[in-house]
Amino acid sequence: MIAIVAVAGVTFGTLGLGVWGMRFARSTSDLLVASRAVTPWWNAAAISGEYLSAASFLGVAGLELKLGVSALWQAVGFTAGYLALLLFVAAPLRRFGSYTIPDFVEARLRSVRLRSLASGIVLLIGVFYLVPQLKGAGISLGVVTGAPYWVGVAIVGGVVAVNVGLGGMRGITYVQAFQFWLKVFAIAVPACMLLVHFDGLPGQATIFHNEFPHAGSHGLRITLGARQQVEFPTAAHYTINGNARVAAAGHTVTLATGHLYLAPETAVPVATGTDALRGSDWSRPVWNNGESTPLFVYSLLLATFLGTMGLPHILVRFYTNPDGRAARHTTVRVIGLLGIFYAFPAVYGALGRVFTPQLLITGETDTVVLRLPQAAWPGVVGEALGAIVAAGAFAAFLSTSSGLLVSIAGTLSHDVWPSIAREAPTTVATRRRRFRLAATAGMLVPVGLAFWAQGVDIAVLVGWAFVIAASTFCPTFLLGIWWTRLTARGAAWGMIAGATVATGAIFLDLALGEPGGVGGALLAQPAVISVPIAFATMIGVSLRAGEHPRVEAEMLALHAPEGLGFDEREHVPFPLGSSSRPTLGASDLGLP
Amino acid sequence: MNAGVPHTPRDELADATAHGEVYLRRLRQAQLALSITALITFGALVGILPIALYLLPALQRAELFDVPLPIWLLIVPLSPLFLVIAVLYARRADALDESFRELVRRR
Repeated sequence: MIAIVAVAGVTFGTLGLGVWGMRFARSTSDLLVASRAVTPWWNAAAISGEYLSAASFLGVAGLELKLGVSALWQAVGFTAGYLALLLFVAAPLRRFGSYTIPDFVEARLRSVRLRSLASGIVLLIGVFYLVPQLKGAGISLGVVTGAPYWVGVAIVGGVVAVNVGLGGMRGITYVQAFQFWLKVFAIAVPACMLLVHFDGLPGQATIFHNEFPHAGSHGLRITLGARQQVEFPTAAHYTINGNARVAAAGHTVTLATGHLYLAPETAVPVATGTDALRGSDWSRPVWNNGESTPLFVYSLLLATFLGTMGLPHILVRFYTNPDGRAARHTTVRVIGLLGIFYAFPAVYGALGRVFTPQLLITGETDTVVLRLPQAAWPGVVGEALGAIVAAGAFAAFLSTSSGLLVSIAGTLSHDVWPSIAREAPTTVATRRRRFRLAATAGMLVPVGLAFWAQGVDIAVLVGWAFVIAASTFCPTFLLGIWWTRLTARGAAWGMIAGATVATGAIFLDLALGEPGGVGGALLAQPAVISVPIAFATMIGVSLRAGEHPRVEAEMLALHAPEGLGFDEREHVPFPLGSSSRPTLGASDLGLP
Repeated sequence: MNAGVPHTPRDELADATAHGEVYLRRLRQAQLALSITALITFGALVGILPIALYLLPALQRAELFDVPLPIWLLIVPLSPLFLVIAVLYARRADALDESFRELVRRR
């Protein structure tokens, strides 16, 4: 009950603040000037707030419970990605004055067709990233209220679409910054209180040593909402709907819908597709198993390290930095802030092995953060802690989904619509109406996909978005900013090659039923192949052009420090005459 | 380009003459070299960790506050390390920009 109030409070509080804040911002004389007053600390908290999604809040701990400590590499990569962004992209991109990826490729490479391609990839990444947020919302609302999965997906999808359509929340740096601290509070306080309550991690043998996750001293009673195929790691006595059964070690059994009871201390069976792991294996960060092999870990690190810079909803936020230097200093602070957050999810995955082993039976490991507090600390305290994490989780879905939907809707209304309708929007009112329609349409596909993706881990879904970004936009940025010879043709073929290899591998992996092994690792996490292919294609095709493109003006805009009188408006070759479309305005993106 | 007009480095940059291009290219290359140095530092320190943990499974038996050492290595030192690299990099990058400004403003 407390949890429902907390979730409703976060949801409507955020919406209210956003709408109220937007009014307030509109009354100031110059919205852009106002945004320039935002300090790097506020900006950094806002970027971090937008970035910490369902994957960070629920997914990392869920994957950790399921696969082991190796899942924590993902959190390492999520932070390291900002280092790549800092070293190669942040300052030049801010100086260039482009704040969407299609804007950047059009201005830097002078090609409208490349802009269309980049827009398509923005939509692809946006949808891949939005689906896990909605999945998170579906399972979370289920945990909090007992509602069916689709209800949460539909409600959060609808709320976010309305919110973005009305222009609320997104633009308000302070709301996003507040959301960041809410999320840190929501993940840290329950984790610390549990560790203090138990005076460290209880159940050492289950977490780190020789034991499988097992039923407690009173046995384990759960209700299965659907038939579930499971494998018993050890011989076990159990009853299903009152009928006593025996399972031999290693047996795969289909459990019927209904009440399952496991005798005290019985090792829990695990949903097929997952390995039952003893603590000694579970707690190894890298070893010879499935998604813990060195190849998989390195490929994952590469995808997250290089993929962060290609996330559309994050780049837009960098525009609120006044100049390139501030963009650098904001990014440094983001790295520090994310480091605080990612210290905590690990606690939930570890304690989950002791207190919520039933999630391994049902496969609902993504809910471990939400269920753990009450399972570990029955009573009012546990309920209150559960309410805190639920509120933090909803803050995560709302902020990230809103940012993503703004990018998707902006791309749909600004790039896709005019190219289909063959006319540019004329008035502000027309553009706003189109943006609202696009926000609605842009939410329908992710909602549909989220219904289908209930069984796929949040962290895995988000991982795909990172792979695609790393295989397309990362090479475009790195070469476009630092290499004068990149051509539009080279960038186009490189992005196509990278996107094709990355998505092809992921879908092949799904089609083959996640085969595992070295080949399976490369299919499930193809960055280590797709990123080099994208780079090689871009460089190779560009060099074949023979002539050296004249890009002095672009390089000046990208790299000349501020304060020399090379104002970006004079030097950014924007628009280039090749494009008759109006540039996407800050108000289209809901920026303050 | 424009004979007779005084050519400060700033004018040359703005005109994108051959000289201006050289100044800017030097800055760009210095910045890129700095970024790559930072990247290699990062790669050497972080990149070695997975393979080290893989090759040294015995580390798993070393425990600190009842938690195996590899888990500590995964959670605790990396974020501060990223932050240190980031701070040092940002300071150097700002300094490079500043010395370029000095060069252009001179005269």
